[in-house]
Amino acid sequence: MKRQSRILATGFALALVLSTTALAQEPVKIGFVTELTEPWSFFGTSCVAGLKLAELQINPAGKRKIEFITIDNQTRPDQALAASRNLDVQSKVIALSGPTSSDTALAMNGYAEQNKVPFVVPVAAFPQLTKPGTRYTFRIEPDAAGWGYAIAQFVAKQKPSAKVAVIYSDFALMRAIVAGLKYQASKAGLKIEPEILFPQGTSDATVQAAQVRAANPDYVVVIGAGGFDSTLTNQLLDIGIRTDQIIHPFGITTQVKNWGKRSVGSYYGTFFDANLDKLTAEGKQFVDQFRAQNDRPPSYIENYCFVTAHIIREVIDKNPGAGDDREKFRDAVSALKTKETTSGIPITFDKNGARKEYMYFMQIQDVQAKDYKSKQVFYIEWDPEVIPVYDLIK
Amino acid sequence: MSDATIIILLSMITTGLMLGMIFSLVAVGVTIIYGSIWMPNAANGQFFLLAALLLWSASVSWGLHPALAALIIIGLSVPFSYALEILLIRRFYDVPNRNISYFVLSLGITQILAGIFSITYGIWSDQFQLPPLVGGLTMLGPFPMVNNRLAAMLIAALLLVALFTLLRYHRYGRALRAVFQNREAAALRGVDVRAVYRMSFVLGNAVVFAGGVLFACAYSFDFSIAWTMAITAFAIMIIGGPGSVLGALVIGMVFGLTQAAVSIFASPTIAAFSYLGAMLVILLFRPSGLFAR
Repeated sequence: MKRQSRILATGFALALVLSTTALAQEPVKIGFVTELTEPWSFFGTSCVAGLKLAELQINPAGKRKIEFITIDNQTRPDQALAASRNLDVQSKVIALSGPTSSDTALAMNGYAEQNKVPFVVPVAAFPQLTKPGTRYTFRIEPDAAGWGYAIAQFVAKQKPSAKVAVIYSDFALMRAIVAGLKYQASKAGLKIEPEILFPQGTSDATVQAAQVRAANPDYVVVIGAGGFDSTLTNQLLDIGIRTDQIIHPFGITTQVKNWGKRSVGSYYGTFFDANLDKLTAEGKQFVDQFRAQNDRPPSYIENYCFVTAHIIREVIDKNPGAGDDREKFRDAVSALKTKETTSGIPITFDKNGARKEYMYFMQIQDVQAKDYKSKQVFYIEWDPEVIPVYDLIK
Repeated sequence: MSDATIIILLSMITTGLMLGMIFSLVAVGVTIIYGSIWMPNAANGQFFLLAALLLWSASVSWGLHPALAALIIIGLSVPFSYALEILLIRRFYDVPNRNISYFVLSLGITQILAGIFSITYGIWSDQFQLPPLVGGLTMLGPFPMVNNRLAAMLIAALLLVALFTLLRYHRYGRALRAVFQNREAAALRGVDVRAVYRMSFVLGNAVVFAGGVLFACAYSFDFSIAWTMAITAFAIMIIGGPGSVLGALVIGMVFGLTQAAVSIFASPTIAAFSYLGAMLVILLFRPSGLFAR
């Protein structure tokens, strides 16, 4: 009887050891729900292109593998929600990530908070994603109201008391940028006039461009959506606004290429650019590899998805157990103090999961068919609650 | 009158004309198809976008001059429409209440095309812009008019005149109008009704394609233009009177000019909704449309 018990105990212990070893070797699964089809497909596929480059680096031999399970959300919040639920319940992922749209990110944010699933958002700027009380969501991209804050600071540095025209499309992202801009403009002594809002689906801005010119502003902040952004820019230039009066809050590669040579001299905000003054060695390698694979330089979207994979690697490496326990993973991300591998910009999160924010402003120098040159002219960092961001945007 | 006022006034007129002519073209295309085969073509916006995207490929990726590329794309609409007509459209010609079947069919085509665009063009860019047809500016007093838009506007005007002449004076136009009014009587008078159906589907789509290429020449665009154009074309057709080509022409121009004017005197947001509000009001008093037969 005693002997039998000993054999049983040994067998049980052996089974336990074997199963623990097997568990330790299981990859850490991350659900990556992004926009691969429908209107936002360009952003989702660009993001995945950045992620794929990171995947080549983050799984060296000897380290526990991190596996990204990529699912298309069709640019639809309901699909993003369904995919999140599936990844949580069926695939048992340790964390969610992937969206490049605030709409889909908000749907996943609701699921993540309710079901206590850590959620690392690479690209989504709507402020309420990290509203007070948020516990499981961490956002890599600065919030949109903060972008407006940064634009006001940039303009105030360029010309104190400047008159600024604002012309923008009616999307949540654009409204948030303008709210931040207007708030900080009043504090910085800038005058906003005129402020023109376009409904979604607008094609032509000739009349409003003429109104802007008639108001004779020092700067024009241009925030068009999609193709309308280039139309808006061209129509302002057609009517006589100078390139160095135009400020775009954000510029991704396709935008800069579409603004084209005639926009040389105008400014755009960004969080990563191939033309930054200080790229790390990894950043330069990332730009070169991305360019070789995609025939264009990466922008901040691709960079944030690349960086997200590296953040997750660091969390798993530095925190034993974070790969198997969602609470430990969440705590590890919350306590993270690191830097973007590509630019060296610090990454820390506040109590709501919002990042210590920053923004670059670039001036376009030249635009070619597949590339462009721009010069870094301004850099700013700020605390996300330097403006009442969660009161400005409900 | 100050220079600023003249600039704003001329920008309003030129914008109104440009948008109005593109709206008219697309609405006429939709109306020709609806009036003849009773097909409310919900895929018109995707056809419009298809033309614009193909033009972008031909001129940006393959380096063709936009004018030559535009001609080729409009020409391509003919075999494209013929293929659709043979494969799908003609199968419903004898179905009673076929307009519902056609509507559902066109929604299916819309979904398929939207899916194809998002996994092809959607991966390449989020916005599309063509090189100009012609460069430079023409000063209209103090107002700088871009030659490229001027050229697009002139071509749109010529197309509308040609279309109106074709439908009014050509044998096919008369046959088409006869089918619009009473297809049984037209058949008794020797009109080959099925041939008219086929021609109408091809012509209607060619006109929508022409609208798409002209729009792409004048403006940057993205996928959202398909939805905007589909809604606008239907609104114009309903206000003008379903099946009324003249109604589509006139109301399209009124829409363009109204949008430009309201956007300056009220706001672009109100302008965007103004025509839908006008549609509701007009339908209260003229449920069959302003130019209904």
